[in-house]
Amino acid sequence: MKLRAITLKDVRRFTDPVRIDGIDNGVNVLSAPNEFGKSTVFDALRALFFVPHGSRGKEISQLRPHAGGAPEISVEIETADGTFLISKRWLGKPEVRVTRAGVMIAQADEAEGWIARLLGGGDGGPSGLLWVRQGLNSLAEGSNKEQQAALVARRDLLSSVTGEVEEMTGGRRMDAALARCREELGVYATGTGRPRAGGPWADAMQEVDGMVLEREAFARRVEKLQTALTERARLRRELADLEASEAVGERKARLEAAKAAHGAAQAYAEKVTLAMRTLQVATTTAERARNDLENLKTIKNDYASAMQNDEKAKAQLLEAQAVLAIAEQAFGAAVGEHDTAERGHQRAADLLQQVQARSKAIAANDRRRELEERLGQANAARQAVEAEVAVASVGPNETDMEHLRALAAALSTARALRDSTATRVMMRYLPGQEGSLRHPKGPLEHNTALPIHTDTGLHIDGLGELLVLPGEGPEGLSDVASVKTEVSTALSSLGVSSVDEAEVAHRKRKEAGDRLTQVRAELAALAPKGIEDLQRQLATLPAPAAGDGTDLPAEEEAAKNLDNAKALAAERAATRDAVRERRDDARMARVQAQVRHEAAAERLKSAGIALERLASKDEAELVRLADTAETEWTNADTALSQLRAAAPDISTTEATLKRVQSVSNAAHQRIDALRPAIAALNERITGNSGEAVEERLQETDEKLEVARTHCARVEREVKVLQRLQRALEAARSEARDRYFEPVAEELRPLLHLLWPDAELNWADDTLLPQSLIRNGQEEPVDILSGGTQEQIAFLVRLAFARLLAKGGRHAPVILDDALVFTDDGRIERMFDALHRQAEGQQIIVLSCRQRAFRDLGGKALKITAAVDQE
Amino acid sequence: MIFRFIHSSDLHLGRRFANITEPPDGNLRGRLMEARFDKIRVLAEAAREQGAGHVLLAGDTFDSATPSLQVLRQALAAMRDAADVQWWLLPGNHDNLRNAEPVWDEIGGDAPENVHGLLDTSAIEITPGVALLPCPVPVRATGRDLTEDLTRVQTPEGTLRIGLAHGGVVDFTDSGEQIPPDRDKSAGLDYLALGDWHGRLQVSARTQYPGTPEQDRFKHDTRGQCLAVTIMGLGATPEVSEIETGSFLWAELALPLHEGEDAAAALDARLLTTERRNTLLRIKAGGWASLAGHAALRVAAERHAPEFAMLDLRTDGLGTLHDMTDLDAIDHAGAMRLAAERLMAEAEDATLAEEQRDIAAAALNRLYAYSTEAPR
Repeated sequence: MKLRAITLKDVRRFTDPVRIDGIDNGVNVLSAPNEFGKSTVFDALRALFFVPHGSRGKEISQLRPHAGGAPEISVEIETADGTFLISKRWLGKPEVRVTRAGVMIAQADEAEGWIARLLGGGDGGPSGLLWVRQGLNSLAEGSNKEQQAALVARRDLLSSVTGEVEEMTGGRRMDAALARCREELGVYATGTGRPRAGGPWADAMQEVDGMVLEREAFARRVEKLQTALTERARLRRELADLEASEAVGERKARLEAAKAAHGAAQAYAEKVTLAMRTLQVATTTAERARNDLENLKTIKNDYASAMQNDEKAKAQLLEAQAVLAIAEQAFGAAVGEHDTAERGHQRAADLLQQVQARSKAIAANDRRRELEERLGQANAARQAVEAEVAVASVGPNETDMEHLRALAAALSTARALRDSTATRVMMRYLPGQEGSLRHPKGPLEHNTALPIHTDTGLHIDGLGELLVLPGEGPEGLSDVASVKTEVSTALSSLGVSSVDEAEVAHRKRKEAGDRLTQVRAELAALAPKGIEDLQRQLATLPAPAAGDGTDLPAEEEAAKNLDNAKALAAERAATRDAVRERRDDARMARVQAQVRHEAAAERLKSAGIALERLASKDEAELVRLADTAETEWTNADTALSQLRAAAPDISTTEATLKRVQSVSNAAHQRIDALRPAIAALNERITGNSGEAVEERLQETDEKLEVARTHCARVEREVKVLQRLQRALEAARSEARDRYFEPVAEELRPLLHLLWPDAELNWADDTLLPQSLIRNGQEEPVDILSGGTQEQIAFLVRLAFARLLAKGGRHAPVILDDALVFTDDGRIERMFDALHRQAEGQQIIVLSCRQRAFRDLGGKALKITAAVDQE
Repeated sequence: MIFRFIHSSDLHLGRRFANITEPPDGNLRGRLMEARFDKIRVLAEAAREQGAGHVLLAGDTFDSATPSLQVLRQALAAMRDAADVQWWLLPGNHDNLRNAEPVWDEIGGDAPENVHGLLDTSAIEITPGVALLPCPVPVRATGRDLTEDLTRVQTPEGTLRIGLAHGGVVDFTDSGEQIPPDRDKSAGLDYLALGDWHGRLQVSARTQYPGTPEQDRFKHDTRGQCLAVTIMGLGATPEVSEIETGSFLWAELALPLHEGEDAAAALDARLLTTERRNTLLRIKAGGWASLAGHAALRVAAERHAPEFAMLDLRTDGLGTLHDMTDLDAIDHAGAMRLAAERLMAEAEDATLAEEQRDIAAAALNRLYAYSTEAPR
């Protein structure tokens, strides 16, 4: 169907008929300002096609002009069957007619039916997809009724192209199967495929785990029980073995035997001990006999030896005495010579001392004379110092003078100041009159100013006295007076009457001071430590020596003599010491010879006594006794050896007895320990066996097997459901993709005008795009910008329109202000999309954006006044 | 001299059947345990009916080496109550001398007078002219043939020699414990009463296994029984008769299915119709069935199950035939059909691991179930 012309009368502002003519194929643009009536045209078309002529509803009443009236709308359409005029009027004489070339085709309800068939039936038909009213810029806007109508239209369209969506995706059956599969799976597993807590899968696994633990616990108890049984059997056998009469008898017999053996061994050991004592006695006796014999021989030999020794010692003593006598004599001579040399040395030293004393005395006399001279000079200098001191302390010192000078200067300054401000008189004498004017101090000089400070009378020769009365006094007069007073005071204190005098006094003082300094320096040079020190030095000098000492040798000679004497004394001393040493050695040798002689005599004496003691013994008798003792010893030794050879090992019998005893004791102890141990095991075994642990273990084994089988079945069930879910979801997803492919294929190039790689994902409940994929990112449509949503909606409608057209169902696309949020950059591409899709179709664009849509192109439509077509 | 006795073994008193799934009424295990215990009474009755004064229990009287006091004491009390019967208990591998020492201590110390524990290999004159030659099992695994000692046991001239032993005549584990099948001859026995096998087995005329008097597994497909043995005299061939004693039947039913066969009908035809309450039945389905056939078989089994003590349907060996009608039942086209086709392809892809194929087949079966239950 294509629209060719639209006529309105009594429709809102169009009370007079208006017409839009020449609506062409392709893009048609009605661009007019706001409130020009564009939306009225849109609403009028919708009313014509979808609102029955008998309707008095809101959508009709809103079409009426303010002043009232019956809205009339006519549309010329072109279909495959020709050109028709559809006219409808509401409210006042409502009617609807369909005519072709003026011939009535249908009217009233028949006409309504004809219109419905034209649109393809349903509430809205393709207009839900293709007619966009102003303000509805996205695909999911509008009233519920409008949205539902649009959904139906979309479904009808897609179904007509690809088949019913339900048929393709499985529809409710698929939903039910998937829901049931998910529901059943959800009982077992979470969304991530893990066992759901509290679900049968988790329970089955827990059951198995619990059974395993329980089984392990029973197995441990069974093991413990079996261990206890084994242990008890072992202990019982051990106890039985220990308590067996045969075993008891055997232990007793062994113990008795061990005791007997050990007793016999002990008795035998005593016999051996006795034999050992006998041997010991024989040994002692034999040794004594031998010793006696040996002693006799030894003593005789000792005596002879002692005699020889004694003779020898005596001879050595005599020799040592002779040597000592010679050494004593030599030592005496050496001592004499040394004494003589010592005396000579002493004399030389005394002589030298005398010579030195003489030299000292001469030096002392010279020294005395020097000191006396210096002392005299020093005394004189001291007197000079005292004199100068007296003078140098009189008169003003430097400080006084500075003060006085300062006062004098101040006085001069004050005077000058005073004079500079004082009244002055100057006399210029006539020639020959000089000196005729006198002041108290004398005549005035010619042409010389004389300051007058106080009332002053000036005598003028021949005239009288001229009084000069300066008045209050010149400036500085009082200062001069005060300074002058100070000067007077200072002079007075210094004992002078003037500054000059003070200067003179000061100069004298200073000169005296200089002289004082000089004589002090001289005194210091003469007596650095003072005159008293000179006096003391003088006092320490010896009295002048009497005689001249001419009989004494020179000091040098005396010293040389002394050295020679000293050397001789030293030599003689060394000789004396050497001789002494030889003498001492001779003394020592004599002493040692004495000692040896005494020792030899002592030894001889002892040997004589010992020999005397044994004189009574017969050597032959001693030999016989020794032989007898030897024989007895041999016999005792043989007897002991024989006994030892046959002796039982008492250590062994003792060890055997201990061992056997310990075995017997251990058996008793073991028996005592086994009984309570067995009793304890009995109790444990009875307790465990009474609890039927083996039965319960076996039962647990069986339960575990059942649990594992059940768990395996559950896990298989989970796998089956998961596999089924995957299969159903994959199949449905593929079917959905196939369902939307036609519209996606139409839409793709349009999307790529805006985004080169864009794709849309579709919701199969609303059959609308739900997300945009561009630049690899998927973005839900409802969060896209208003402009982008508008553009997508726009392009989707164009795609739907093309699909309809391909299906032979041509319907005009009517867009009322459909691109309000699109920027200038994209709007051109939208225009390109419009023209691309307009091939074979009719697109009517209503817009108030005249400037923006100027570049859209297409056929420009106008609303013009119309002649009543009636 | 005629000597009669009851020969039984492997009572396994105290077994708890924890591997048996409890039905909703929660009492099958108890019933099974009670049935075992009741065998003492049944054996005593059998002895009376046969005129036998002795019951020889050839091992494994107790299921574990340490039965609970209740199990032990109640068993002894039941034996005591059958005071006209002498009970001869041989330790088996489950209740061997070592591990079950407390049991044998209890029996040795405090058992009723008519209950005898055979704790060593000494020959016992159980009645004048009849010697019992026991071979008690000392430990769980002995590694040798315990009946070998019988060849050295002497008995007075003219005495019947009855051996009592526990073990297998076939050595599956190469343990050396095999009892020679001609032990009766080598030991000069008039009869060798064996235990350990839970199924009835006649090794020779003089060497017999009675089997357990109450079955406990799906192996032998019969009810439990005991043997009534009559020896007419020295050298006489024993007369052995079987006496059914079992309360429960443990049966295993093979159910081979063919392509196109009605699985439910096949099952119905094979099932027992009587005494289902005391029957534990394991059905092993094999062969091939379609998805619908699987479902039908499952439904049929679920329908019959409540009548049985236990009905266990095993379909591990039942292959699934998938065809287009199955897939059509899921959907004719669209995503559901696509999913089903893919699952079927995966289930039939021989290059994939068996588990993966099995999972895919099960997923397809599940999808089929969802689809056949969901309204169109």
